[in-house]
Amino acid sequence: MRYNISAQKLWLIFILLVGIACLLLINGCAPSKAIADKPGVLLWSENCQRCHNTPSPTTFSPEIWETIGMHMQTRALLTEKEREKIVEFLKSSR
Amino acid sequence: MKRTIFCIQHAIPIALLLFSSFHASAQTTTNTTVDSSIYDRLNFLEEQASYHKSGDDHFMVVGLTTFGFMSNKTTNTLNGVSTISKTNTMADADRYEFSPMFLWRHEKKFLMEFEPSFNNNGLSVNWADISYFALPNLIVRMGYFVLPFGTYSKKQAAGWINKLATDPMGIATIPATDYGVEVEGGLPLGSMKMNYDLALTNGLQLMPDGTLSGGNIADNNNGKTFTGRLGILPFSNSCMELGVSGMFGNVGTPGTLQSNVSSNLYAFDFNFVKTFIPILVNIKSQYNIVNIGNANYISPLDSTQQYTFKNKSTSAFVQCAIRPTGIQALHDFELAGRYTMYNTPANSTWGANQHSFSIGLNYWLSWRSVVRLTYESYTATSTASTLLNAFTGNTNSNTLFLQFSIQL
Repeated sequence: MRYNISAQKLWLIFILLVGIACLLLINGCAPSKAIADKPGVLLWSENCQRCHNTPSPTTFSPEIWETIGMHMQTRALLTEKEREKIVEFLKSSR
Repeated sequence: MKRTIFCIQHAIPIALLLFSSFHASAQTTTNTTVDSSIYDRLNFLEEQASYHKSGDDHFMVVGLTTFGFMSNKTTNTLNGVSTISKTNTMADADRYEFSPMFLWRHEKKFLMEFEPSFNNNGLSVNWADISYFALPNLIVRMGYFVLPFGTYSKKQAAGWINKLATDPMGIATIPATDYGVEVEGGLPLGSMKMNYDLALTNGLQLMPDGTLSGGNIADNNNGKTFTGRLGILPFSNSCMELGVSGMFGNVGTPGTLQSNVSSNLYAFDFNFVKTFIPILVNIKSQYNIVNIGNANYISPLDSTQQYTFKNKSTSAFVQCAIRPTGIQALHDFELAGRYTMYNTPANSTWGANQHSFSIGLNYWLSWRSVVRLTYESYTATSTASTLLNAFTGNTNSNTLFLQFSIQL
């Protein structure tokens, strides 16, 4: 029995498979232990200065740091763990 | 007598007993008073703390502004004849900006960004989008946003971040914002990191002279434009990032001479920031290639005539900044330099080979406010078509900028 699949459907299947692969990749990637163990203060000093001067923790209140952290995750494309650690450091070092 | 002694002997313990009983009673009364006061105080503080406790949602305003002065001298030379023009402008219209940014967070899942901007184009919008933090390293955004093409427009163009008073020509002139959807995120890769940023938008629009415009809420054709960037940070301390970007889509408008024209744009970017004690070194670079399909264009001199040209542009910049962060007397100063090239299509109405050198001294008032002094030298040799009555001479200009920029 022969199946006749159009090129358009093949593309859709391909895109679907690539999408699934991307999702698996996104959730399957893991940092090395040395990276995973990095404290927030180190991530703060390494990542902020990639774009701008390193901010002082006293600049904003803890609630604002939470929002700024999400904003910066979208700009600098930090991993979620990095954002959480940096924000926690900034909140606790005021 | 004996009876008296007996009475005294028994009276003393009784008195002591009564005294201790009274003292204990007094102590109990005092403790009760103190405890009550502490409890009242605690209740008050708890009430205050509860009043200030964060809710699920948070709304805030940040923003930036840039204001400055520009002094320029430009010399245009055509067939051996030079004309000189001088300009002194307060506010430096091309670089003035006042842009508040409204951020609204709903729990830790949604973030809405809106950045209106007052500049020389009047009132415009830089960002108006909503992001959904769908998975740990997957953010979905929709709305009006800066496209993930290279890194300059999205990460380095803000006045308080930029090391020099001007944007690198050609890099910043590609339409940066558009309406659409985007997925992005950062991923750990062992000791390295990578990030991805993919967008599907209305796309750029080809103008009658062959240039591109963007950011149209109504698409000029039915094709959508795909823009994507992949970045990799090969070192564990994130000091270096390499990125490659592409933008592909139909830019022609149906019913015009350029109805089926598509464009392929590529960008390569490099970012290196590291402290070599006592100096912080910051190197940034980007190379853009813009390829637009072959098309005929209507002559600006005679609407019955057509002309064509190879519509390819290239632009690049290399920028280096050093800041002696480890030297107490100089740690607020920063020295920056940049070379920029921008080649636009020959035989068009806007063809030119352009180069500029910029050098600047920055003084950082705080981590987010800076006073900049920048000198820029610009040269251009026109490659435009003489048949289209375009300027075909040379241009040299020297400009001094004094600028203040802050993020709040």
